[in-house]
Formats: sequence, C-alpha cells, structure tokens
Amino acid sequence: MKALLPLIAAIAGTAAQAEDLRFVTCPVYRDTDAGKKSGCWLADAHETAKRYDVSQAPSKPDWNHMVLVEGALAKGDVGNPCGGIVLDPVRTSILPGDCTRHMLEAEGYTGRKFKLPVRNLTPLSVPRTPPPGPYASRTFRLFFDFDQSFVVYQYDDYLLDKAVDWLRAAKPKHVQIVGWAATDPDTVSGVALAERTDIARERAEKMQEALIRLGIDKGIISVEWHDHARPVSDPDIDGLVEPSRRRVDIVATL
Amino acid sequence: MRGFSPYGGGLLAAAILFGVSIAGSITQPAKTQALSAADTPGYWWAPNSGKTFPASADYANPTGRLRVLLEGGAMPTRGHPFFTALGPSGRACVTCHQPSDSMSLSAATAKRRWAATGGKDPLFAAYDGSNCPTLPQGDPASHSLLLERGLFRIQRPWPPRDLLSRGVKPDFSIEVVRDPTGCNSGAYGPAAEHPTISVYRRPRPLANLKYLLAVGFAYDPKQGMPLPIDPETNKPLSGNLMADGRASTLNAQMIDAASTHLELTRHLTPAQMKQITDFESRLFTAQQHDASGTDTDAAGAEGGPMKLAKSQPGQLGSIGKPVWSEYEAWEKPTPGLTPAVAAFRASVARGAHVFRDKTFLITDSAGINSPIGFGNPVRNACVFCHNMSQMGNDVAPGQVDLGTTNLPFADPAPQLPLFRITCLGKPHPHYGRVIYTSDPGYALTTGRCADVGKITLQSMRGLAARAPYFSNGSARDLRGVVDYYDRRYHIGYTEQEKRDLVNLMSVL
Repeated sequence: MKALLPLIAAIAGTAAQAEDLRFVTCPVYRDTDAGKKSGCWLADAHETAKRYDVSQAPSKPDWNHMVLVEGALAKGDVGNPCGGIVLDPVRTSILPGDCTRHMLEAEGYTGRKFKLPVRNLTPLSVPRTPPPGPYASRTFRLFFDFDQSFVVYQYDDYLLDKAVDWLRAAKPKHVQIVGWAATDPDTVSGVALAERTDIARERAEKMQEALIRLGIDKGIISVEWHDHARPVSDPDIDGLVEPSRRRVDIVATL
Repeated sequence: MRGFSPYGGGLLAAAILFGVSIAGSITQPAKTQALSAADTPGYWWAPNSGKTFPASADYANPTGRLRVLLEGGAMPTRGHPFFTALGPSGRACVTCHQPSDSMSLSAATAKRRWAATGGKDPLFAAYDGSNCPTLPQGDPASHSLLLERGLFRIQRPWPPRDLLSRGVKPDFSIEVVRDPTGCNSGAYGPAAEHPTISVYRRPRPLANLKYLLAVGFAYDPKQGMPLPIDPETNKPLSGNLMADGRASTLNAQMIDAASTHLELTRHLTPAQMKQITDFESRLFTAQQHDASGTDTDAAGAEGGPMKLAKSQPGQLGSIGKPVWSEYEAWEKPTPGLTPAVAAFRASVARGAHVFRDKTFLITDSAGINSPIGFGNPVRNACVFCHNMSQMGNDVAPGQVDLGTTNLPFADPAPQLPLFRITCLGKPHPHYGRVIYTSDPGYALTTGRCADVGKITLQSMRGLAARAPYFSNGSARDLRGVVDYYDRRYHIGYTEQEKRDLVNLMSVL
C-alpha cells in the first residue's frame, strides 16, 4: 500500500516537478469567516498525522465526501492562516466515499480573504485582443479532477478560453482532440484508485462540443481517446505530476 | 412605523394610478392619472379589450405602486397576439401576465378574478388553471393551487425532451408517492399511456427581458461547458428564461406556452411571434413608489423602471455596479423627511448591504456547492447568486437547488404532489440515491438526477406586485422568503436585518 505517496521528481523528458504528497482523507472545513469564499479546507494525512491546508485548490472539497489530495509544499513564507501546512500548488478531487461532515471554528486563524484566481475568465463585454502571430502548430491542455470531465470554473474555462482565442486567430487546418484517462491502478491511503476508461472519451467528446459551441468549425476537428495516460509537463498544471495525466490535449496543426 | 412593517394596512384600498399614453421613447417619467379602487376595469387586462397599452402606467400593490414602462411609446393592442384570445380557452398571453402584477400574476389577483367572475374567467381554464382537468371545474377547491398559491399546472413529457425536442434517456426513475390533485395518476402521470409529470409553478414575469436574455460570460460554470448556441441566431443562450430551462429563447417559450397554456392547435405565425417579442422586449417594470411616502427614485436613488430601460444588462455586480447600489444615496439621511420616510429609506439602504455583505454558509445546494468547485460548504451572501447589476438574477445560467421543492429542506406542502426519484447512475452529490421532491425542476429537462430540484433564478424586480414567491409559491410574502433562507442556511438574521431585506425587496 502506498499510504502516503512521496513521488520522485524525475519524469523523463519533462521539466515537471513531483508533488510532495498524494493522499485520501475526509476534508475538514474551518469557518474562518474572512469574507466571501474565505473558508479554509484542511486535510489530514493519517499516515503522518500532519494536517494540510488545501484551500488553494482550483476546485474545493465537499465535507460529505472523501477527497484525493495532490500537492506540493508551498515555497517561501506563506504563514499559517488556516491551521495546516500550506500546499500550493494543490489539487483536490471529490471521491464517492462518504464522510462525516466536520467544521471547525476559526480558533484564532485568520483564513484568507478571497482573491480572484490568476486564471479567471474575462467577461464578453471586454474586447478581446487576438494573440499576436506568427503562429506555429501547438498543443493546448485542460486538466481535470479525478474521474471527472467537468470544466472547472476559473481554471479549465480559462484554459479553454485561451485556446479558443488562439484557434480563432491562428485558423489551423486541423484540430485533434485527445482525451486521456489515468487508468493505471494505484492505491492511495488504502483506497484503490483508477480512472474509468470511459472518462477519456467523455473528456474528448465534451471538448469537441465545447469547441463547436465556441465557434470552431466542426469539420476541422477530430477526436480520439486513450487510457494509461502518462504525465506531461505543462505550465498550467503547476508542476504537479499525477493530475497531469487526467487531461485533454487540443493539438492544433496549421 | 411603516418603515419597519413590510405590509402597511389599507393599501389595497388606495388609489390605482393608471398611466396616460404618451408617444415616443421613454426619456421622462410619464404623467399619471388617479383611478379609484382596486377592482376598477383598468386594473385587469382581459383579452380582446382593444385598449391602448400606455407608455407608462402605475398600479397599486400592498406596499406601494408598480410602474410599467413601454419603451418606444404607447401601443394599440387591438389584434395584437399578446392581447388576443387565439385559442378555444379564451385566454391570451396577458391573462396570466398582467401589467399590475409586474407581468406575472399574484394569487391575490387570481382570487379577485374568481370573485368577480364566479370562476368563469379563462384564467381558470381546466387545462392548467385548475389543479387537474378531471376535477369539477365550478368548485373553487379544484383551483385551490392557483387561488391560494398562484400556481399553474405544468405538464412535462416523461421521459424528458431536450431543447430540440429530442428524447432524453434519464439517469433516474420517478415514482408518484402522493397525488393530491389526481394529475399524476390515471390518465395522467408517469404511468399513463402518454406519460407526463404534472408540477405546479408560478408564472414568471415577462418584463425586463433584456436582463434575462443577457449573456455575461461565454461559459455556464454550473454545467462546466460553454453556453449552448441558439440555432436560429448562432449566439450563446443565457439559460435564464424558464424555471426548468425547457425553452431558452423567447420564440421557444412562446411555442411552448401557445401549445399548453393557450391550448392552440396551430403554431403562432412568425409575424405573431415577432410582434410579441417586440412588445415584451420593450417592457420594463419596477416598484416606483412606496407607501411610506417616497418614490423609489427620490433623493438620488435609482429605483423604478426608467433606470432599467436605460442600463446595460448582463453586468456582474462584483466587477461593476454593485447589486442594489441603486439605493446607495439613501445611506445618508436627507433633512426634512417625515420620520416614516427617513426610517424606510435607511432600512432599504441597510437591506442592500445585508444582501451584499452578510455572509453565511451555503450548504448542499446543487448548482452552488456542486459541481462548480466552490466547495461544500462555501461562505457567501445573497449576492453570490443574485449577482447581475440592476436585476438580481444570475449572470450565468441560474439553475440552483435551494431546496424549495426537495425534502428535507422544502416546507411541508401536502397540497402538492410528491415524487420519489431514484438515481440510477451516480448518486446525487448531496441527497444520495433517493430524493423526494414536489418538483424535479431542471431535471425534467435534462434528465439528470444531479439537477433534481434546480430552479432557474429569476428577476427580483416588481416583487411587491406578484406574491407569493419561489417557483411553488411556498413563501406567502417577502418575509416568508427571508425566513426560508434563514432556516435553510442557518443564517441567523437579526429581526432588523430581516425587516431591512423585506423593505429592500419591496422597492425593487
């Protein structure tokens, strides 16, 4: 059993760093009440008895369900606003298993005032500036929570929007959408984890529909999907390894 | 003091002010003319009346007066399809979308029409103006849901059909637990030869529509996808028109309404739909005057419908004009006011702050706590979802489960049907495998168990004219709305905060 999984940094051919931690637990909500969207999410790694602050994840936990935590220790002096060791970058994926909901009072912790994430969508009322050329064939990626195909708000929607802005400007001859699923089985904190094979197809087909809705010509899009996903290096996965498997590649060929 | 009482007594006996027709676009408030009593002929718009729809008209309601503006000037209604009975029921669109009721219909108005006509008004058509067509139509008890809660019967196909009328394979099964109206069993209901589900809902106001059709962002964060595209215009759809999202354009809504509420056997013509769209798109309604003695656009405030007609729709309050900052000017007292007016204005201004700033933990509400990624729970305020400047609807498609129709959160409603939903695939993120609901809401369009009980947020304008509230009329008055939220989310509003919120909502 890989109860708490320290990952090794090296990924052949990539510059990605490994996340320090990967574990499954029941989340704890700390109501620090520092304004809107200010609450803290804590996750206890039972194997080490350490409590982590996972509040910086793009999609947050549900106190009724188990959560898969994948993250790296924050660099620099980030303080202790929530009562846990800060993970940043971090991803949290809601798992089907039930949890007993638990909420802590602030207990002197300040929490964090909400700040708009760096990856946030621009309203349609704001004129878009097309990305400058010259253009060359390139690949865009969207990353998903475990076993999900949901385009995460203020993360994936931003990535998709950027990709579409570029596609509209560069006008590629062909757009290949490749859905991936992390189907290789693993055991984390005693919980067997493997994504469904079907999720690769769901991701790819959703992305095809998304591109069409955003005005990309259906005739230039092809779709495929694969399991046994391998990690990739991409700035938008923030150096995390395991979450990089759960993705869609949008491969644009000029 | 009126300022702290949501409903001052005796207002129903007060004057109805009925507008004078003026031509041209709206640039100045129209002159008004006083009429005498609540049931004057001018109050109720019957089909085929042949009257001219005024450029501006004021209608009394329990807390003041609603103003209805028609941008572009007065309009003759003779032969106009919105005002003409086109089908066998004798109803027209205006029957259930009355100007005095902010282009919706209050339960009080329904009661008055029953009293005035002995239940013979087309409003009480057996198809949907009664609890079920199988009931004796002369008995007011057969129309109790309309008379008591302002509810019309909405009959949805089962299995569901999507926006393009294609069959949807639902990921849940539905059983009837309780059928007090008889319209979910026998010749009706999911086990009938032609399966349907009957639910009961309030009519949504057909005014201020540019806000409900506005698109602020290209994405629906609740569905995790870009907005669907209107095949007619190739533009993204706002997703904010219907309670269950079964129609996303005005044309689609008209087609749906014509074949159900109007019982037409023929389609509306394109020319008729264009006429109706043109009329609806020019209509703006909001409370103009409060019974305490103040206009809602007095002393620098920006209430009333004129501001709505002039403003740009689709703006997110958090990055533009804060929601209900229309009443910011009332934060500073104005010398010389009567105590009642001064207290009322101060209360409204405080209410706007409570609406925006009083945070609470939102829990187990699909469309908020799942699957967007905000987390369950998430701390926020009313304005989290009611986020569009000037209107208080959701800039994103507003399908949210507040629990108003789902147990255990819904208030007891023995007069409504109860369904048992069993999720066949993934369980619901908050209710689990089995859900009890009086209205599956958006799930009757999408066929998804995760959408059970989601109801589209609507405009918050003209509320004083169209009680009761929530899609199933479960809140008798505005205080009932506040009390529901307070119970549902354990907010802990103080008595003053509750009054301030009620007063705020009464002037929208």
